[in-house]
Amino acid sequence: MELYSPEGLRLDGRRWNEIRNFECRINTHPNSSDGSSYIEQGNTKVICMVQGPMEPTLRSQANANKATIEVNLAVANFSTLERKKRSKSEKRMVEMKTTLERTFEQSVMCNLYPRTVIQIDLHVLSQDGGLLAGLTNAITLALIDAGVAMYDYVAAITAGLHDQSPLLDLNGLEELDMSTLTIGVIGKSEKLSLLMLEDKIPLDRLESVLAIAIAGSHKIRDLMDNEVRRHGNIRSSKLVNN
Amino acid sequence: MSKMILSPAERSYLYDSLTQAPPIRPDSRTDHQFRPLEAKTSFLPGSNGSARIRLMDGSECIVSVKSKVVLSALESSLIECDIDVSGFRDDSNFVSNLKFYLTNLLQHNFPTQYLKLTSRYAFKLFIDCIVISHSSYPLSLISLTTYLALKTTRLPLLVSDVNDEEVAEQPTFSDDWDNAKYIGDFMKDGEVFQPPIFITLGVIGPNLIFDPSTEEEQVLENGLIVSFYGNKVITPISNINLATNSNNSNFKGLNRSLITKAMALGNKYCPAVVKALDTLIEQDDEEGTIF
Repeated sequence: MELYSPEGLRLDGRRWNEIRNFECRINTHPNSSDGSSYIEQGNTKVICMVQGPMEPTLRSQANANKATIEVNLAVANFSTLERKKRSKSEKRMVEMKTTLERTFEQSVMCNLYPRTVIQIDLHVLSQDGGLLAGLTNAITLALIDAGVAMYDYVAAITAGLHDQSPLLDLNGLEELDMSTLTIGVIGKSEKLSLLMLEDKIPLDRLESVLAIAIAGSHKIRDLMDNEVRRHGNIRSSKLVNN
Repeated sequence: MSKMILSPAERSYLYDSLTQAPPIRPDSRTDHQFRPLEAKTSFLPGSNGSARIRLMDGSECIVSVKSKVVLSALESSLIECDIDVSGFRDDSNFVSNLKFYLTNLLQHNFPTQYLKLTSRYAFKLFIDCIVISHSSYPLSLISLTTYLALKTTRLPLLVSDVNDEEVAEQPTFSDDWDNAKYIGDFMKDGEVFQPPIFITLGVIGPNLIFDPSTEEEQVLENGLIVSFYGNKVITPISNINLATNSNNSNFKGLNRSLITKAMALGNKYCPAVVKALDTLIEQDDEEGTIF
């Protein structure tokens, strides 16, 4: 299988620096959560629901100085091509959950919500590469919808290295075959709040991979911002009419 | 999940309203009326069938049906269900009960003969339900969503020989997804594919109320789960305390005559429920996105 043709085309017809179709919606579950979002990054589909900031059920969860962020990750059995039953205590799932908690503890102004918990429920309906990036983007949008104070968007994307050339936003097949870097970028800056590399990339190539990943994240941030503004306009027009 | 949803005064008011003839329900529904719902089908490209139902209170369920070709001799059943309820452990009583109800219903009331491909091979259906949020007892929500998912399940067209008794042959399928058939398409003339459904009934005084809401569940004297298949109410009919998350002090024994009444009501109103779901599928636009 040829992942990257000499003409510069990938399996799905994209060029090296193109992202997959990115669709997002916010406020998808207004009746069952304080903030919610749905994102599609190619065929990776994630629902995110945020509850809170609210009083924790257990006293032990309360921190007198800042909010506690709790992520629950549920990956549906049918999310992969081959159906597979998975447990929530799988090592990969636990690692992803902790990574997300740590990322958002830094990006949310947790000090504004002492003694509260912000509960984030994620449901993965379909996965095709870039799962951690998709989850990060979904959480960002849901937190914005919930009105939780954040420093800026956390926009995430994957990038990989195929032979000599960096490729942006890998799909499931590409992700299997090359080393993949996931980054989360704060807003339009070049500051990273999330960096995950599960295998190796030569140090002299890392810079080019990081560069396209940052550019890609900025693109994702703009797409998310469009959706937030679109939704904001709908809301404000309702306010005026009433 | 709050332990106490209603105050004693509210409970008493609601109880008295619901025991009137006809019952006065808080959302002004009639006794046999369901809560309004919103549905979407065929939005998961990786599944053979999928559906989502959302109620106005935010309760939501997503069901996917996936198929796999299996050697029928090695399988105890051609249908396997799994339920995942947000906020509950998979091995909790609540989830295992729901799973048992659904598995038991589908395994006994499903035209599995149409899943057989050849004398050796068959399709096995994996039905996965995820309950994203719920406030009232979610069984009928799960079952109605499963109905929609099964009705819109498409299976690839078999192109190899059906008779493989003499020659061992692996089944092969048409590459063209447009040739795929709905389960209903395999059925003979005059038969319709209508998967079984569950409905929940609340028992209060002399009344039976369809699809009780969370508040109503708090004051019910009993709850009934009625199954409906092939245009009539079938067994199992079971009783249950629907207020699973709180103490229901009104809960008591069940009057026998109410079971026959429940069957009569089920026979009378369930065809309309099934018809409404079928209309929903017809009217659903094939856009492929859920929101």
